[in-house]
Amino acid sequence: MEEERKVLLVGDNPFHGISHLSQQRARDRGEGVSHTEHAAQLVISSLEHGAEGFMFSVSETTLSILREVFKKEVVNRPKLYALVPYAYEYVRLATQVGGISGLAKRFGKQILFSRNVKAIASGLKGVLGKNPEALFSTYLSYEISRIRSSTDKKADLGCVLLHEIVTDMALALDLEWVFKFYMDFMHNRDIKPGFNTRNFPYLINKFKEWNVELDDTVIAAPFNKVGFQMNPSKTECEKALANLSETETIAISILAAGYLNPREAIEYIAGLSHIKGVAVGVSKERHAHETFPLLRDVLEG
Amino acid sequence: MVDMTEERLKAAVVGLGKMGLLHASILNVLPEVELAAVCDKSSLMVSLSKKVLDRCGVFTDVEELCGLDLDVVYVTTPISSHFEIVKDLYSREVACNLFVEKTLASSYGEAEELCSLARSSGGVNMVGYMKRFCVTFKKGKELLEQKALGDVVSFDAYAYSSDFLDCEASSVTGESRGGVLRDLGAHVLDLALWFFGDLEVESGRVEKVARGGKDSAYFKVGRGDGLEGEFSVSWCKEGYRMPEFGLTIKGLRGVMRVNDDRVELKLEKGKSSRWYRHDLDDHVGFLLGDPEYFREDKYFVESVLNGKNVEPCFSTASRVDYIIDEVEKRAG
Repeated sequence: MEEERKVLLVGDNPFHGISHLSQQRARDRGEGVSHTEHAAQLVISSLEHGAEGFMFSVSETTLSILREVFKKEVVNRPKLYALVPYAYEYVRLATQVGGISGLAKRFGKQILFSRNVKAIASGLKGVLGKNPEALFSTYLSYEISRIRSSTDKKADLGCVLLHEIVTDMALALDLEWVFKFYMDFMHNRDIKPGFNTRNFPYLINKFKEWNVELDDTVIAAPFNKVGFQMNPSKTECEKALANLSETETIAISILAAGYLNPREAIEYIAGLSHIKGVAVGVSKERHAHETFPLLRDVLEG
Repeated sequence: MVDMTEERLKAAVVGLGKMGLLHASILNVLPEVELAAVCDKSSLMVSLSKKVLDRCGVFTDVEELCGLDLDVVYVTTPISSHFEIVKDLYSREVACNLFVEKTLASSYGEAEELCSLARSSGGVNMVGYMKRFCVTFKKGKELLEQKALGDVVSFDAYAYSSDFLDCEASSVTGESRGGVLRDLGAHVLDLALWFFGDLEVESGRVEKVARGGKDSAYFKVGRGDGLEGEFSVSWCKEGYRMPEFGLTIKGLRGVMRVNDDRVELKLEKGKSSRWYRHDLDDHVGFLLGDPEYFREDKYFVESVLNGKNVEPCFSTASRVDYIIDEVEKRAG
């Protein structure tokens, strides 16, 4: 039987200076990796070596990288998997401007300056009516417009995923409407909805409880040989995955933040049924040249 | 001990900032808990919460929590309001089991008063020094208790973040957060007190520049038996995307370095060892923020259910307020 073709995505963590193994490791990489041109070149090299998409949190850093990628004559145009919100940016801003109220004011100003008429109208409706759905809609429109304005018309915005902090908080608070509203919002714009979570089995169970189909949805969750960030346990995550044949499940943190060597990490993923793709970050040209061919080789035989 | 034969523990969260939302979410996942109420001063947060949280009461004032028959209340408001809110909760007998985000109060005097009220109430009380629930610091504590380093001679501790790096308004917003020592330094101070027992301040320096974002503190501490320690705290340090806490501890047999990510033990005789979070079973029932938040909340809830004392309780946590006061006094 022919092996299913996997979706291979280059991730953006190194461009934000993130290492989940240790912050020191991220500092040791230096700032070079987050420089726009260098990061864009890493994305392009990854695309030339087998990646077909770019998974990124929507921030000024990644939007600059996107602009740079789309400026160049790239043979393999990336399929975009965008994550919103870039929680770190908003949490840091909330810290600086005095909490959630300060953040809301700042965010309102940004939307006004964006001149996105639809977003302004829906935002106004949300604030005046204190309507969570209108505010959510405003926010999502704003983020999509940021992505669109950083790419060209032909860009394939394949999926927009809700960041783990929002997904997991909404799951914990049992906010069924957030998920349903989000999925409808994205489907209405011909964008595949996605959820990034660090509580994969919990999400699957909640969706079953709510009778929400996950067939046309992307879920990005950690899967790795050592069970790093696989909660409540590696076994429970593997069990939940085994029953999920139709969903586009993308494995993230496959290297357990650099704790595993690529071959052993990929061999573990190859042994899991129902993983439809992988997102992995690269911080050097050599990584881009080696990682994606190895992924194709091991995952697709 | 709470009678749980028929009902779950009824909990309320006062303050719906990021910490309040985080604790409310985790509490809602714990099967032993019913998130019964939330309370916030912000009219926007209250209106939105009323529309979103349909299974729990939403209030603007602590007074409105009276009569809800609550078992526990979490106080997650800005530090400067802890004293009045906790006093109010005790005096109105809203609940006798209280969890307060760090620091307990804005001064040692206030903290002592809250400790006294807590003793009178007879409930379980805890302060959110969640770094104690981080697997690397737990491992560090375990190694110290096993005397892996022999007698400890000295330590260097740091708490760094880049939160206010290049941020012009840092001192204005920073002060409303309780200042760099309470907002950031308190965690590593609590870890040091947990590791080494009581410490006394020997000298201190706090740098504040109104518009330059240079909020940092340096201080030295000592213990009666000669142990010496130094602290460096800053929220405008380059390269600290997330707040990071760490200690380098020197003993007669070697050195241990421990931070949020890993523990390293270098012994003068014998081999060196290193443990990352990956090596220390960092799984939790539900992961939101860092795993330590879930462990902290679960521990508090289980302690309330079983009527057990917890650490860090108000009394233990008040020592952090004491040391911060002493540093600020010496810094002038």
